[in-house]
Amino acid sequence: MSSLYAPTNEDVKQRLRPFGIFFEKSLKDLIKGIRANNETPEKLNHFLAQALSECREEANSPDFNMKTNAVLKLTYLEMYGFDMSWANFHILEVMSSSKLQQKRVGYLAASQSFYKDPDILMLATNLMKKDLKYTGTDDVVKVGIALSGLSTIITPSLATDICDDLFTMLNSSRPYIRKKAITALFKVFLQFPEALRDNFDKFAARLEDDDTSVVSAAVSVICELSKKNPQPFIQLSPLLYEILVTIANNWIIIRLLKLFTNLSKVESKLRPRLLPKILELMDSTTATSVLYESINCIVKGNMLEEDDYDVAMQCLDRLNTFCDSSDPNLRYISCVLFYKIGKINTAFISQFDKLVMRLLNDVDVSIRSKAIELIEGIVDEDNLQKIVLVLLKQFVDQDVVLLQIGGFETTREIPIFIPEQYKIKMVNTVIHICSMDNFANITDFEWYNAVLWDLAILSQDLSDKFLGYRIGEQLRNIMIKVPSMREITITTIIKVLYNEDINNHLPSILKDCFWSLGEFSSFIGNGDDLINLVSKRRKYYPADVEVILIPSLLKIFSNWCNSSVGVDAEKIKFVLLNLLSYLEPLCYSKAFEVQERAVQCMEFLKLASEAMEQDAEGLPLLLTDIMPSFFNSYELKPISQGTQQKLQSCILVDCETPFLSEKELQAVLTQEEHDDDDEGLFSEDLLLIDDSSSTSSQNHDVNVHDNLKAANDETNLLDNEELELRKRAERESNPFYLSQNNDHTSKASNQLLDFSRKAGEESEAHLIRLNKSDNGDEENTERKRKSKKKSRRRVHVLSDEVVVDNNSQSPTPSTQSLFTNAPSAKGKISLKIPTKLETFDFSKPMSSSPHDTGSSDIRHQSISGEQEELERLRKKFEAQQLEAHGTSDNGENNEETIVIKKKKSSKRKNKQTSGKKSKRKDNADENSKHLGETVI
Amino acid sequence: MILASRQGKIRLVKWYTPYTPKEKTKISKELPPMILSRKPKMCNIVEYSDHKVVYRRYASLYFVCGITPEADNELLTLEIIHRYVETMDTYFGNVCELDIIFNFGKAYAILDEMLMCDGSITESSKKDILSHVHSMDNLESRDQIERIMS
Repeated sequence: MSSLYAPTNEDVKQRLRPFGIFFEKSLKDLIKGIRANNETPEKLNHFLAQALSECREEANSPDFNMKTNAVLKLTYLEMYGFDMSWANFHILEVMSSSKLQQKRVGYLAASQSFYKDPDILMLATNLMKKDLKYTGTDDVVKVGIALSGLSTIITPSLATDICDDLFTMLNSSRPYIRKKAITALFKVFLQFPEALRDNFDKFAARLEDDDTSVVSAAVSVICELSKKNPQPFIQLSPLLYEILVTIANNWIIIRLLKLFTNLSKVESKLRPRLLPKILELMDSTTATSVLYESINCIVKGNMLEEDDYDVAMQCLDRLNTFCDSSDPNLRYISCVLFYKIGKINTAFISQFDKLVMRLLNDVDVSIRSKAIELIEGIVDEDNLQKIVLVLLKQFVDQDVVLLQIGGFETTREIPIFIPEQYKIKMVNTVIHICSMDNFANITDFEWYNAVLWDLAILSQDLSDKFLGYRIGEQLRNIMIKVPSMREITITTIIKVLYNEDINNHLPSILKDCFWSLGEFSSFIGNGDDLINLVSKRRKYYPADVEVILIPSLLKIFSNWCNSSVGVDAEKIKFVLLNLLSYLEPLCYSKAFEVQERAVQCMEFLKLASEAMEQDAEGLPLLLTDIMPSFFNSYELKPISQGTQQKLQSCILVDCETPFLSEKELQAVLTQEEHDDDDEGLFSEDLLLIDDSSSTSSQNHDVNVHDNLKAANDETNLLDNEELELRKRAERESNPFYLSQNNDHTSKASNQLLDFSRKAGEESEAHLIRLNKSDNGDEENTERKRKSKKKSRRRVHVLSDEVVVDNNSQSPTPSTQSLFTNAPSAKGKISLKIPTKLETFDFSKPMSSSPHDTGSSDIRHQSISGEQEELERLRKKFEAQQLEAHGTSDNGENNEETIVIKKKKSSKRKNKQTSGKKSKRKDNADENSKHLGETVI
Repeated sequence: MILASRQGKIRLVKWYTPYTPKEKTKISKELPPMILSRKPKMCNIVEYSDHKVVYRRYASLYFVCGITPEADNELLTLEIIHRYVETMDTYFGNVCELDIIFNFGKAYAILDEMLMCDGSITESSKKDILSHVHSMDNLESRDQIERIMS
């Protein structure tokens, strides 16, 4: 016993035990003991451990009363987080007691601890069956207890065994039993859907029961079941409708509305009948929860059509009054519903901007964060700046005054802690509303620049590092899409770059900043200072930033060297050295990509500096011609998100087929022998440059090629062809070139087309390449067409400034797609920690439910047929199917693992290719920069 | 669904979906501070991992109830909590925290009578619940008398 409280009473208790008096006491002792030992956690833990060990002893005692007592105490302790599954067997013993009091304790304990313990559940099954035998009036309660207990510990086998008993109970004369049986059947159906199929009508008949609580239970069960699978219950809808019309009980009405929500999701025919009734209900009811559920039903049950303004307004008006109420719960839920209605059609909520603004300043942060979700529905050109100001204010306030904001509702100030999550959400929302529809709402990009700068400052302290990328992305997008603003934007970018704090806390923003700087380095007059700044800082960024930074530096350097203002050779040398010293440590970077780029860059710059040494006056060709040609071949234009991926997805890299058959190879080799030395040298030269050419993009490659061609008069078409042949031979021997070659084809540049035609080698691989490039071209033109169409649409939508620059190639995702995109992201946030068990648990009924639908159909047919034998056969078949299901599931799993293994092995096989692949990726990546993908 | 009443400390817990002990302790550790930190002016609905949590305060006790966000009605949940408290109030006669602590078995019984296995309400009539609980109590006490007699 809990001796700490009353140790001296031990003897007395011993004597009293046969009279059952001890029972209450010892639990009370435990509780009192816990309370008495509450001062320090150690003391409490000590006490609890002691109590637990006492329970262990008592549970083993032969005295049933004592055992019961121990189990009860354990149940209590379980709430404190102690595992009691070791006592399951004792619980079972207590359950089997003939005394109701003990049985009750046993079932209580069982429902708390019997989850998924197959051994004990098997034993429990028999006990259950016995307890469910209804023998006399006194047994009502016993059966009731058993039924309640049953629902928590049901298993498929138990369900199969007892479902017949339960169905007989449905006809019991006692409403209490009927009700309990219905609720117990719910769990049975989940485990054993065949039961529902075979006894559907019996079950449905309970909807017409005389007793309201039975009807209520039946409605609830059907409602819950329809969540899993609404299909079989659609036939009940006339009956359910009847109940909805006649019944006055609000609890049941809400259940019914829920049920109809589920049903009308799958059966659109219900809408015309239900909608008027629900609207009527909305007018007549006084209960807010019914009103709320009605609107919920309309919205979630797909009853609100996109153009149904009347109904929408009716709902929204109600919600509007909810939002004005003083009850924060009402405000909150109506906010959520507002959002859902807005999802159906943004136009519905657009007029409620004042309301949303009010909600944004609500006392409750959770209401605010719901209101934030609404913003994108109400934002337009005129109120954008106002809204952003409101949001930014909440930032600044809380940043300055230690996370506090004055509440306003009453005169007194209520300090509000603004959680980081909310701040992150605010940043995301600001970015989203400003950039949506291709900056449709922004009239003043200077203002937006300032906002982005503010956001960059504010986001430093937030833990979500993704924000940096988003802000950087915005800067980049403006850079590309709004040429007239480039100078202003680039000053913002430089401002960001110069800010030490941002550099330290939010390096992710720099990725796109560096890219923009590199790409638009022609705007920068003193590129050398910029390079010196970066190299002097000697600060190294995360790999993904560094990857961008290296080529960007090169771009800046290239532009600066060749800017119209004559640059001093000495200065160039100095900057070159700076660059080299900055890059050197990066050559040993752990990130492959960084390392590679750094090495490429280094090699090229070394070459350049060597050339400078040799040629003191004037700049070497390498710097004046070759380097710019790396970067300036194409003008950048924005393309829509995913276009590139589409391009890439149609590229199939064939690593298996040899480029030349054995015979062809021989032919090439012999031909090669006839080549004169000059050409041989030349091609070697070329290869060398290929290697050193920093960015390895295929475009550059070709460009280098072209340049050299131009420089060297001797090279003519014939040479070219031979060169190509020779190169191919090289590739054959050196698999490293494979990828490059494939990349040529993949990127579908026209040059390449010419090239390969000239080469005229009709090998197999070649053909494929040609095809591919054709495909790519088609893609290209198609894309252009598409984007043209879209951009034409844009002209209508957009304000002047943006139109000018965007009629090039900036397709805008339509309003709706944006709006639907957003919630999915939000969903992700809320699903951050999905509990494993829950998904697991759900899968069971799910997998059984489709089964269920099919089977219920079968059942209907069979009713007309009335052939018992057939029915039995079907059942058998069903069971077989079930089994097959089980096994096939396993099979699938196996297959999956095999597939994975295969993949692995194939990877191993193609070890060589993996290196190439990444190289190719690199190329593609670089190339993408040239095509200028902007993610909208 | 979970329903727990607490005041920083847990007084009563009922799990309607199977969770592992680890998850259970995690949830019971995380939830109370979160709810206690909320001000009376704030709304009674909080988002917690993939659930919504609806809570209500009665004197020193918080009644907390986890619901699935898409399917359940928040207002109804508040009503259920209220009904539960009302029922206990009549059963114990002006219920207080101590009543629930010492008669947690009874509190469970009332809850069981009220809520179906997975937490959706079945019995909304206070009278019915009470009569069932009372009849059970009667039988129990009769058991007890019999035992003493024997």
